[in-house]
Amino acid sequence: MVELGFERRLERLFGESPELSDAESFVEHVQRRLDAGWTARRWLIGTAGVIGGVICASQLMVSNVLQRVETVGASARLFSSSFSGLNHFSFGSDWVATISSGGGAVWVAAGLAVVMMGYVLTRVIGEI
Amino acid sequence: MPGARHSRFASLHDVELCSYSATGERRAFGELVRRHGSAVRGVLRRMGAQPAEADDVAQDAFLIAFERIAEFRGEGAFAGWVKKIAARLYLRRLHRDRKMGALTAEAIEGESEVRPPDADAAIDLEEALKGLGKVERLCVTICFGAGLSHSEAAEALNLPLGTVKSHVKRGLEKLRTRLEPDAGGLLEGRRGHG
Repeated sequence: MVELGFERRLERLFGESPELSDAESFVEHVQRRLDAGWTARRWLIGTAGVIGGVICASQLMVSNVLQRVETVGASARLFSSSFSGLNHFSFGSDWVATISSGGGAVWVAAGLAVVMMGYVLTRVIGEI
Repeated sequence: MPGARHSRFASLHDVELCSYSATGERRAFGELVRRHGSAVRGVLRRMGAQPAEADDVAQDAFLIAFERIAEFRGEGAFAGWVKKIAARLYLRRLHRDRKMGALTAEAIEGESEVRPPDADAAIDLEEALKGLGKVERLCVTICFGAGLSHSEAAEALNLPLGTVKSHVKRGLEKLRTRLEPDAGGLLEGRRGHG
């Protein structure tokens, strides 16, 4: 019983830890390391998102999406020339033709989408 | 208003702070570090770590605790949970730096550094621990300061259970002689149960 009492006392003594004088600077160190880890994680995931987006966009390009759009445009033109009296079809063909001829615009849009994706990802990670 | 948020966290219980931390709220975790940082650093120093080394290990322990905060179920005290992480981390570091072998060898050679008690002075725990051999001090502190059971301590120290028990027992006897000079008698070291 006496032994147990001493062990309890010892546990209490171990539990009574004095506040160290540099406690606040220790907290700041830990906080800084936490923030650094968090920033690194955000960058890592953001970069992974951008790389993923670039790969996705390049795969879309490689799989002849532009050519297919052009084919659709040509079909639409053919279709609208057959029904030249219908204005709304000619409008549709012009729109598709504009897209198909503007390959650069598609690339710019894809690039913007990738950047947006990265930005959104970093924001989401920041909020989680 | 970071100040307002800080004061809001200051009034919360540890368990609530852990819940906030689990959602990634780093300021809530900062409040936990503010509350328990000194205790964790204190345990490491009592285990025999130099102040700078103790601070490094304590920082690592808190970062690990933040990563694993979802595993903390609030069944025990948060400080006790981090102390266990810190103690294991420090022991791993001793193993990695091959200091553990030297410590145990020193223990076998007869604990030459043990200092006799000063009967006239009122001795506190820090002073009393200085009177123990390094391995005894390590064993007693990880069992009574960090809250590891004997078997957990044996696993972390990579020592046989019986060896750890006898180090704890001898350590307790010496501590008792220093902290309670009039009490006398032998201690069994009832902690751990295995």
